[in-house]
Amino acid sequence: MGFAARSVSIFRYRVKGELEGSFWDAIAEGVRKGAFREIESAGDIIASGWTSVEDFTDHSFEQARYVRGNHVALSLRIDSVRIPPRILEIHFKKESARLLQETGKRRLSSGQSRELKDRLKESLRHQAFPSIQIYDMVWNTAEGVVCFGQHSARARERFEDHFKKSFGLTLIPLIPYIRAQELLESDADRNRLEELKPCSFVP
Amino acid sequence: MDFLEILKQKAFLGREFLTWLWFKSEQSGGRVELRGDSVVEVIFLNRLTLDLSEADTPQSVTIKGEHSELREGLAALREGKKIEETRVSLRGSVNEFTLTLKGTWLSFGSLRTPPALPVDEAEPEDEWEASFLEKISLVEEGIGLVDALFGHFLKLRLSPNWETHELPAIRAWVAKGEPVLTGPQ
Repeated sequence: MGFAARSVSIFRYRVKGELEGSFWDAIAEGVRKGAFREIESAGDIIASGWTSVEDFTDHSFEQARYVRGNHVALSLRIDSVRIPPRILEIHFKKESARLLQETGKRRLSSGQSRELKDRLKESLRHQAFPSIQIYDMVWNTAEGVVCFGQHSARARERFEDHFKKSFGLTLIPLIPYIRAQELLESDADRNRLEELKPCSFVP
Repeated sequence: MDFLEILKQKAFLGREFLTWLWFKSEQSGGRVELRGDSVVEVIFLNRLTLDLSEADTPQSVTIKGEHSELREGLAALREGKKIEETRVSLRGSVNEFTLTLKGTWLSFGSLRTPPALPVDEAEPEDEWEASFLEKISLVEEGIGLVDALFGHFLKLRLSPNWETHELPAIRAWVAKGEPVLTGPQ
């Protein structure tokens, strides 16, 4: 569920790095660079990138804005198609039988099999409905903190990667130790934190 | 230390925070006093996951239910487990939030904020914008309460008071199996 929902899951990051040139121009360039588009890849993902948080079909940002106050709000949309292995197997058997009959050969070479599978996958991809995943993110540019609306490791990895590609900035997960370093005011406390060992609550 | 090493070696910090928070909430009738006279009401709801973070093989236990969590949770603490995940309700000066806190990541699951109120006399697109901005502000307020509690815990955890007062009080609570009521009710 997105940020507009009543209940939202948040994973928090610190943004590391500096944008080059004018801040808002660099953001605009990053959004344009990472906007949702079809991609050529051998994997399951057929399209991905930033869309509006208001409307996941708007990736030209003509109607919707992505700057909200001091915040940059975007959705990362990932469209993927996964052909079920058994479906691929059915089509492969049918097509290889036809090819063998045509050529009079007894079996396909491994190269031919691979080529046939790739061709079938590509053709089946166009017949299947993609699965569409939408993950919202809100970047508080004044604080340098990003809230990402999903906890799963796979989604986070894709998001961190796409953020880096778009803006050239690194996201550091604000795990307790890293947040603690930020919250502590003195170097003496930060040094004590570094030396800290687990304690036991067992009586 | 690189990130993965920090994540592994310092995971205890988030678990100790959540375990301390439970103690503090039980000890003070749900009112945790911070510096500057501010108070956060902290109520642990009916879900706790505890684990043995320093063990070679992970051992965790999840406790659900209205009244069993105190007894069973304390029994798990006596085995050396610490809280890895819990559902809590937090109230600052005005607003109340419920969320699932995870110790290792300090992440916020199923965070429910008060509803973002509709804006009077606004155009529909402005209304969406205003409501979204209010929602962001509420989410940041809820997370801010966790930060305030975590900051308070850190000060205490790094001070000599931890060894002399806080830790013995937590151990006494764990041993006795009931809250040691020393704070306001």
